[in-house]
Amino acid sequence: MSDEIKNPEIQPNLILDDEKAMLLNHNYDGIQELDNPLPKWWQIIFYGTIVFTVLYIGYYEFGGGPSLRQEMESDLARIEAMRPKNAGGDLLAAVQSALGDAAVIAEGQASYAGKCASCHADQGQGLIGPNLTDYHWIHGDGSAGEIYKVVADGVADKGMPPWGAVIPADEMKSLLVYLLSLRGQMRAGKPPEGVEHKPN
Amino acid sequence: MNSTHSTNLEGVGELERFRYDDKIVKAFVLATIAWGGIAFLVGLLAALQMADHRFNFGVSWLVFSKIRPLHTNAAIFAFAGNAIFAGIYYSTQRLCKTRMFNDLLSKLHFWGWQGIIVSAAVTLPLGISSSKEYAELEWPIDLAITLIWVVFAINFFGTLARRRERHMYVALWFYIATIVTVAVLHIVNSLAIPVSFWQSYSVFAGAQDALVQWWYGHNAVAFFLTTPFLGLMYYFIPKAVNRPVYSYRLSIIHFWSLVFIYIWAGPHHLLYTALPDWAQTVGMTFSVMLWAPSWGGMINGLLTLRGSWQRVRTEPILKFFVTAVTFYGMATFEGPLLSIKSVSSLGHYTDWIIAHVHGGALGWNGFLTFGMLYYLVPKLWNTKLYSDRLATQHFWIGTIGILLYIVAMWTSGVTQGLMWRAVDETGRLVYPDFVETVLRIAPLYWIRALGGTLFLFGWVMMTYNLWMTIRLAPRQVEEPEFAARRLLPVASEALGSTWHRRLEGLAMPFTVLTVISILVGSIFEIVPTLTAHTYVKPSDQVVPYTALEQAGRDIYVKEGCYVCHSQMIRQNHWEVLRYGPASTLEESQYDRPFQWGSKRTGPDLARVGKKYPDLWHFRHMIDPRSVISQSLMPAYPWLVDQKIDFKILPKKLEVMQSLGVPYSDDMVTHAERDARAQAQQIASGLLADSPVKNLEERNIIALIAYLQRLGHTTQAPQPPPEASSEDHKDQEAGTSKVHSAREGGES
Repeated sequence: MSDEIKNPEIQPNLILDDEKAMLLNHNYDGIQELDNPLPKWWQIIFYGTIVFTVLYIGYYEFGGGPSLRQEMESDLARIEAMRPKNAGGDLLAAVQSALGDAAVIAEGQASYAGKCASCHADQGQGLIGPNLTDYHWIHGDGSAGEIYKVVADGVADKGMPPWGAVIPADEMKSLLVYLLSLRGQMRAGKPPEGVEHKPN
Repeated sequence: MNSTHSTNLEGVGELERFRYDDKIVKAFVLATIAWGGIAFLVGLLAALQMADHRFNFGVSWLVFSKIRPLHTNAAIFAFAGNAIFAGIYYSTQRLCKTRMFNDLLSKLHFWGWQGIIVSAAVTLPLGISSSKEYAELEWPIDLAITLIWVVFAINFFGTLARRRERHMYVALWFYIATIVTVAVLHIVNSLAIPVSFWQSYSVFAGAQDALVQWWYGHNAVAFFLTTPFLGLMYYFIPKAVNRPVYSYRLSIIHFWSLVFIYIWAGPHHLLYTALPDWAQTVGMTFSVMLWAPSWGGMINGLLTLRGSWQRVRTEPILKFFVTAVTFYGMATFEGPLLSIKSVSSLGHYTDWIIAHVHGGALGWNGFLTFGMLYYLVPKLWNTKLYSDRLATQHFWIGTIGILLYIVAMWTSGVTQGLMWRAVDETGRLVYPDFVETVLRIAPLYWIRALGGTLFLFGWVMMTYNLWMTIRLAPRQVEEPEFAARRLLPVASEALGSTWHRRLEGLAMPFTVLTVISILVGSIFEIVPTLTAHTYVKPSDQVVPYTALEQAGRDIYVKEGCYVCHSQMIRQNHWEVLRYGPASTLEESQYDRPFQWGSKRTGPDLARVGKKYPDLWHFRHMIDPRSVISQSLMPAYPWLVDQKIDFKILPKKLEVMQSLGVPYSDDMVTHAERDARAQAQQIASGLLADSPVKNLEERNIIALIAYLQRLGHTTQAPQPPPEASSEDHKDQEAGTSKVHSAREGGES
């Protein structure tokens, strides 16, 4: 309509030769529209994902597909089967043969610093958890086997976390060797707790 | 030119003269620039806090867990929000050939929105927060948002009703979808019962709350950061390049498929969680189906430049637009990819998600906004841009900033995700220490901060450029006058030859159809979930929190712990190895709001209760590095200074009771007394290490009570004070219901 006052800034759109047939009779503030067909590859994605949805929902919701919990449980069973059997027995034998070995103690000290020191203090003198350098033990008698039990299974009541699933066998060995080396160092820290078990 | 025939002469009335209201557009433009700077600056602070904990400065309102919600709200609602309004007010008037419906409503909208932003900027750092992501603001501000949004809606639809253009252009369709859907999302997700002026409890709990929140959260992305920006793209790209839109029919099909499908996609934020499987499956598959509808918008944006690509080399505005649409295409491919369950199991809770959202926010929303600002400011102030060269430099610096940011976060996310799941040949986690996986990625946080710095510097260049443009502009003369013929009602057949063309001429039916499209998915997902808790077996019923634990939980929420810690052990074997049995639906059935979290900068806490002694938590809160020497966590020493609000506890339990939590009237009445008794008991074990007197009155005690309860939902949390440790053991192993929560507190 020639009587309208149009924005003088509106320029005619650039229309390419192959587009002239597709130009629609639309004009909004100077914006025109072509009517290009939907690209083939776009349609493949569009309809392909719809087909995928039907198949996926069909299998998992109606076709007997496993639930998330079932998938997790079979993964956990697979993990359980990977666990070495009789790790405890082999471990204690390895600990016995490495007692006092300075290199193993140093390894154990490094892993102690990362995992244990936050509660038992840097020198084993106790902080949140008990002092490990005296002969007093709250749980067990301070033997390698009893210490392993506490480290591996934890003491839920006292806030000692179970480390058995966390610390690999090698590291557990050196850690136990280090802990056994602490016994009787009598470092100043938390006062003794529990029952005294002096080694024979 | 055939353009003059777009309006049928039949059905038009007299010639009317009018002026556009560009003053309001200018106001929104200036607000966009200003809030953008603040959003980016706060983002940079948050990035630095991740790289080095000392950037938390030991200040309660500057700590990362308060700053992060401030950053997201500022970026989404202040920066992007004002940009949307600027673009909508500018383009809607021109597409409708009319002034905005009502100048007063426009002003009310502008000032109301700025007021909401300021109140957010004050309340979020103070910890006044509902913890629902991108909806953290408490109920009085939620009401204000509702009011202002209604003002906007009246103003917009009033303008549509007065339009002098027969058909609505595709940009307007996207604006309509934005306005109606944001209203629905905001109202439903904000439903809550006030406890005080500063606090409320969500009417939804646990898995319901999680579903509703991510239905909202995902569609805030969809209908606040996608649909309005697609509308802006449909207006500003053809205007800037003077080319017709590539495909009208593509715009129809991608608009309707986008609004219909998007609303279903929320549960992809909750894959492998305790949300029922069917909802997760629907959320994943509908997200996958979003790929094509999203790319429809990208195609229409990019191919509109057909034949004009050489101009991108010389015109900074087109550089910004083309890059923005490219980032949109990238983010909307990455989104469906991340929604596939197995990919989500790797990417969820990691920085991959942070990379994904910033590709969208910085690349798509940021660059489209910058292009629009460079286009609008010279037009509005009737002048030329001060420096094209500076704008081009802004483009390059910003692009490098975004790329550094997202590449660093992709690397970080994938690295950490792989470390979390690594299991060795003996079935043990390879990286059992969580902090080990954080230390590995910490250097990448510096690269991210560098990327953010460059992006912020680009904003400084733009602000200078636009400021000089405005300063050198000629004194404003009156806004120019336009004239167009009034539309008279016509029969719908006269509106067009296809049904959709006719629909484009009918604003009301178009809007109703849009509302129906977004309600279908919403109802399908939300309604069945509302009853999910009724299926919990009686044997699985959980004991509600004690009054003190609830107080501690509220502190957990207010301090923003959920920003870095999840409470949801997913159904993946590596999660179970690290954190314990997968979380179940009933464990959070009384949690208002739910605290499943969305990011793990620290470990999951769903089963942290009793893992460490009280003293561990006490020391850890005051100084995390005193127990974990390499921790990145900020210190929260103010928890020892601030006092527990005991007086409000009966009111809190009463509200919970009214929402269906099985508290007896007696428990409500004696909430304060019970809480004090439990606090006394916890504090007595910590007195030797306490720096303050009256430790039993401090927030940290309530927080410890809550943390020690996590994962122990079916038993009384506290042994009776006189009980020996042997009794305690029986209690852990034995039947749980015997010890109700209250017996623990009262005895």
